Amino acid sequence: MIYASFFRMKHCLAFLLLVAPAWAVELLPRDWPVQASLSGRVDLESYLSDGAPPALLFSDDELFFNPRVSLFADVHLGSHWYAFAQARFDRGFDPGLNAGGKGRIDEYFLRWTPLDAPVINIQAGKFATVFGNWMQRHLAWDNPFITAPLAYENVLIMTDRTAPAGAGGFLGRRNRTDTKGSWLPVIWGPSYATGASVFGRIERFDYAFEIKNASLSSRPTAWRADEVGFNAPTYSGRLGFRPDAAWNLGISGSTGAYMIGEPTPGLPAGSERDDYQQSTLGFDVSYAHGHLQLWSEVILSRFEVPNVGNADTLSYFIEAKYKLTESLFAALRWNQQFFDTVPNGAGGSATWESRILRIDTAVGYRFNRSLQLKLQYSYGHESSPAENAEHLLATQLTWRF
Amino acid sequence: MMCLTRCSFAALALFSCGGVLHAQSGIEGTVVLTGRPMGPPPASHYGLNAGQVAASPKQLAVVYLEVPGAKKSPPAKPLLMVQSGYQFAPGVLAVQTGTQVVFPNNDSDYHNVFSFSKTKRFDLGRFRKDETPPALTFDKAGVVRLYCEIHQHMRGVILVLDTPHFAITDADGRYRLSGLPAGTWQLKAWLDEKTTIMQDVTVTPGKTLRVDFAGVRTASTR
Repeated sequence: MIYASFFRMKHCLAFLLLVAPAWAVELLPRDWPVQASLSGRVDLESYLSDGAPPALLFSDDELFFNPRVSLFADVHLGSHWYAFAQARFDRGFDPGLNAGGKGRIDEYFLRWTPLDAPVINIQAGKFATVFGNWMQRHLAWDNPFITAPLAYENVLIMTDRTAPAGAGGFLGRRNRTDTKGSWLPVIWGPSYATGASVFGRIERFDYAFEIKNASLSSRPTAWRADEVGFNAPTYSGRLGFRPDAAWNLGISGSTGAYMIGEPTPGLPAGSERDDYQQSTLGFDVSYAHGHLQLWSEVILSRFEVPNVGNADTLSYFIEAKYKLTESLFAALRWNQQFFDTVPNGAGGSATWESRILRIDTAVGYRFNRSLQLKLQYSYGHESSPAENAEHLLATQLTWRF
Repeated sequence: MMCLTRCSFAALALFSCGGVLHAQSGIEGTVVLTGRPMGPPPASHYGLNAGQVAASPKQLAVVYLEVPGAKKSPPAKPLLMVQSGYQFAPGVLAVQTGTQVVFPNNDSDYHNVFSFSKTKRFDLGRFRKDETPPALTFDKAGVVRLYCEIHQHMRGVILVLDTPHFAITDADGRYRLSGLPAGTWQLKAWLDEKTTIMQDVTVTPGKTLRVDFAGVRTASTR
């Protein structure tokens, strides 16, 4: 089944490579006041693990094939108005979430830049969060890896669907395999929640603030405004400083309700989902020179867990990419996540999750401006009886047009 | 007297130089240009990675005379392909094979110039304003499309030619070639990889020929 779909996709890709243009299709002439273009990307991904697939890989299969077609529409009205939409057709926003295949509009926004300089931009729609520095390279072409850093995909025992009855029930989840349909990471991928933002750049400083309908940890279905409204919004922001071209430093913050459902089942009497916040603080730094790029983030997050207390976690990663030639690059990422204690309901306390270490390595080759192949190996270790697979091998062939 | 002496020296210099006839033989004219910007408008989907972006350079044509065996020493100093206002300047550069080009960055942000063209494949990496990556030698004739990995709207092109007789049009499509050898040659106007307009011309010593390329609508293309 997997091989059949793989070969079908291979033939489709070969056909597209032959007939399609090498770059975006311009829908209107470039010298018109309104300019519109359609571009796209085909990703063929495969994941092989030695056990339960880690992170946000939803398939139970140890070998999983995930083809994805993404279409991007860019529309410029003069130099002050810009609209963007991204549609995807795949086996789920996260691989395996909809194994039978599904199409979605993942992102759309309208941006107004009132001045000629990018001092202020106002944007509304459904789009990636401003938190941190990973969002800017989360798409397949720009990401040196196939997966995300740990904080953006490591599923915790935290859930947005029901409140635990008490500490015992909450901590008991530690011994279960990841229940990805109801558990959450600290930040769910690029967090394409719905809302509005204001951002800009003034000399060496960047700023960005947003109000969204759902928290950083919220799942993709919660990003839609028709699924989760704005009665308990999340506020996020980032302040950045570029001392020179090589360095980019940032501090991010976010706070908002992370539970969903009206009312959320199991909440203590008299409380609402807005009473239980996810608050996150992040520090990011990036450096680049020549063929070397480095990124790092430290992310601290607190979940206010009904009937339990505050559950804190700290995660960080250090990521490096080096271009060995104009086509070949190698990348290495070191990720760790630590967890604080919560009251155990018996007068003591217990660490609420097992700490985890993950080392990601990748090599990539760009055949031309449109075709890229990546190979990733990840080793993950967590001190938990319900440990996920330790070894993950992933490949990703990306063709953009 | 002094003036007469100067003129005599000038005449002597002209007649003693093998290129005397070339210096007086030329071709001028116009090429119909599309006037299109070379690159799309800047669109940063996630965050801002550029300051105030200048207008994209307009597509120009390169007119050149194919003279088999014609070769001059390439310029001793490297030519410049600058990144300024988050655009390439000039947008179109024509060079003879063997010419060196440097890519200085005049913006306060990084640029990362690269090309995957068959003629020249390179990636300069990220360089600051106050440092210049090493010069590249373009030793194979063909088209080199330039891009910036950071600013995806940036477009530039270097046309590497096996002839020393070439000129880039101005924005109105005007060009002028001078110092041409006498004979019948092929004159070409390059607009892009799909559009090169050709015309046979006979260069006569001491005369300037006028050749207007009507553009892709009427001329032969390849």
